[in-house]
Amino acid sequence: MAATNSSQSEYVTIVSGDGFEFVIPRSTACVSGTIRRMLEPSSKFSEALTGRCVLENISGVVLEKVCEYFCYNQRNKNQTNVPDMDIPPELCLELLMAADYLDT
Amino acid sequence: MLKVYLLALHSALTDFLASNNISAAQIQEDHQRRVREAETQEINEGNSNSQDDRESEENASESPEQKKKRKRKETATLAKIKQSKEFARRKSRRVGEPDDDDEFIARELMYEKSRPLPGQLEHCEVCGKRFTVTPYSKTGPNGGLLCAKCSKEVANDDKKAKAKKRGPRTGRRQNQSNLLDGLAQQGALSLAEMCTKKVADNINDIEEFGDLPSQLLHRLSQILSKRRALTPRTLNLFLRPDLESIDIYDAAKLEADDFQKIFTFMPTLRHVNLRFAGQMKDGVLEYMLDRDLKIKHLHLDSANLVSDSHWQRLFQKLGPQLESLKLSNLDSSFDDETVGTMSRYCTGLRRLKLKYCWKMGNGSLQAISDLTSLEHLSLSFVQDMDAEKLLELISGVGSNLRTLSLQGFPNADDRLLDAIHTSCQNLTKLRFSGNVVCTDKGFSSMFTGWSNCPLEYVDLSSTRDVDNSNPDGPTEATGLASEGLVALMNHSGFRIQRLDISSCRHVSRAAFEEIFADGKIYPQLKELDVSFHTIMDDYLVGCIFRCCPELKKMIAFACFNVRDAQVPNGVALIGGLKAQNTIIVESTV
Repeated sequence: MAATNSSQSEYVTIVSGDGFEFVIPRSTACVSGTIRRMLEPSSKFSEALTGRCVLENISGVVLEKVCEYFCYNQRNKNQTNVPDMDIPPELCLELLMAADYLDT
Repeated sequence: MLKVYLLALHSALTDFLASNNISAAQIQEDHQRRVREAETQEINEGNSNSQDDRESEENASESPEQKKKRKRKETATLAKIKQSKEFARRKSRRVGEPDDDDEFIARELMYEKSRPLPGQLEHCEVCGKRFTVTPYSKTGPNGGLLCAKCSKEVANDDKKAKAKKRGPRTGRRQNQSNLLDGLAQQGALSLAEMCTKKVADNINDIEEFGDLPSQLLHRLSQILSKRRALTPRTLNLFLRPDLESIDIYDAAKLEADDFQKIFTFMPTLRHVNLRFAGQMKDGVLEYMLDRDLKIKHLHLDSANLVSDSHWQRLFQKLGPQLESLKLSNLDSSFDDETVGTMSRYCTGLRRLKLKYCWKMGNGSLQAISDLTSLEHLSLSFVQDMDAEKLLELISGVGSNLRTLSLQGFPNADDRLLDAIHTSCQNLTKLRFSGNVVCTDKGFSSMFTGWSNCPLEYVDLSSTRDVDNSNPDGPTEATGLASEGLVALMNHSGFRIQRLDISSCRHVSRAAFEEIFADGKIYPQLKELDVSFHTIMDDYLVGCIFRCCPELKKMIAFACFNVRDAQVPNGVALIGGLKAQNTIIVESTV
């Protein structure tokens, strides 16, 4: 019962390694291939059942930027001439690792 | 006269003071003592709040009535300030902060208003130094005034912040640049790509990459190479003992020591790719051979300082383990004898690419014919070759080949196409460009009834007759023309992904209309180059777009009749006459 509810819910929760939680729309989170596969209902992963993805290896600061990117990606869908998102230089290496892990 | 008078006065004053028990020296000393005291007090108080000073000064010498009057005045001023616009603005800015109290803000404003006028002395709010107030003195973070030096710093910070706010913009120029690179994709870049670029922007601030996966390192190396930023310093970031591959696309700034360092730090190397390796010398090669490396894939470009004897030593030592060998731009060494040594020792080679090696001649072709394990062969010769030797090569190694690329064999004739037709059954990629002899008939009979699987990558560009005295070309079409192209598309159209037929000047309009007729679909075709086909026009381009749903990039330089083609979303039309128009079409569709 809970499973069917959560698979229909519009929002998912993404949790960083240090405990920060980000509640974002499901479609936005699915910009990331990794999260999309986690949330795939047919997978029966616990993430898919609860609508909650814990990303142990990503810190809150980085995950916040990642979520910002998800929204940025959604906003600029099917648009040409998209300006680059502003990425603080001190974050870019960590963010790169996260992006690689999340397949975005 | 005056002096005498003064002297008299002086003595009179001294006498008077002395009679009252006062000495001039004593006065002087007292004055200096007071000044000293004041100074030490200043230092002790240092950054104490200037507001307190003011209040205590004011409170020190006033009677109760004066105090009452002052308080009344102050409340009136505060009330007035609370009505002002400046107050509202400041309050809205401070909401949520610990100091958003009305009273506090109003007081702050009041003291700010009563700040010293130009010409007066004041203590700087930041550094505490005494300075003369000028009309240009800036206000500090707490409302006090700043000295000239601190004012300048604040102004500089402001400027920087403004420049940052503007942010990156992609203008029309960037748009065109992307289009020429074939990038017409929509939506945002991937986060990884964006971060990789950002890392490349800040490469000089980076100490190490950590455990970045090798495909990201590869991409970084590409970007840095393109920006010519791969220096000995940045090379260090790529030297990781746990990795088995290194790709440096621009090693032009590296010295012999740096190449040695690569082989020192990465003992498990299997895949070596060094382009523009101009400083790769015999010594480096010797060092590499001494290290007993397990290199399987070797790709060196412009390693011109390596002598033939060392190339031969390399093949003797590493030859048996090499699976792929790619060498290019060698002009001072690498002759037929060296190629002979290569084919003797590198018996397990599956991939061979030799391009622009100036000394290679017919002997090399013969030597390569012995490498029967080859699956991928790419040759580009500078010298003229015997057509017979090339035929021998194809019949020798053709049966296993999956990709074949032949450039710079201008004199090969239809017999070569026939040899490819009979020998090759497993080709997926075929490049045969720059030939001036093979005829349209030869091409069409090669593609007709060919047992080879459909090709995915075909480049038959610049196969045409070049004779300046006969600009219209011979009556019997030379190079790939109508018949050949139709036969090619019938054979491979279903699987073809990339097709380059630029400068094949004899393809007729009827042939294009037949190939891209209504109802025909080329489901995988992603890249098409039809440059210098002057019969190409808006109608034909429209037909092409209709028949190729997956098309991403179409190159059409010098197609002067392509004027107002409607370019579908996500397709890069490169070289069209009116580049600006295509953008407008793209953005409005």
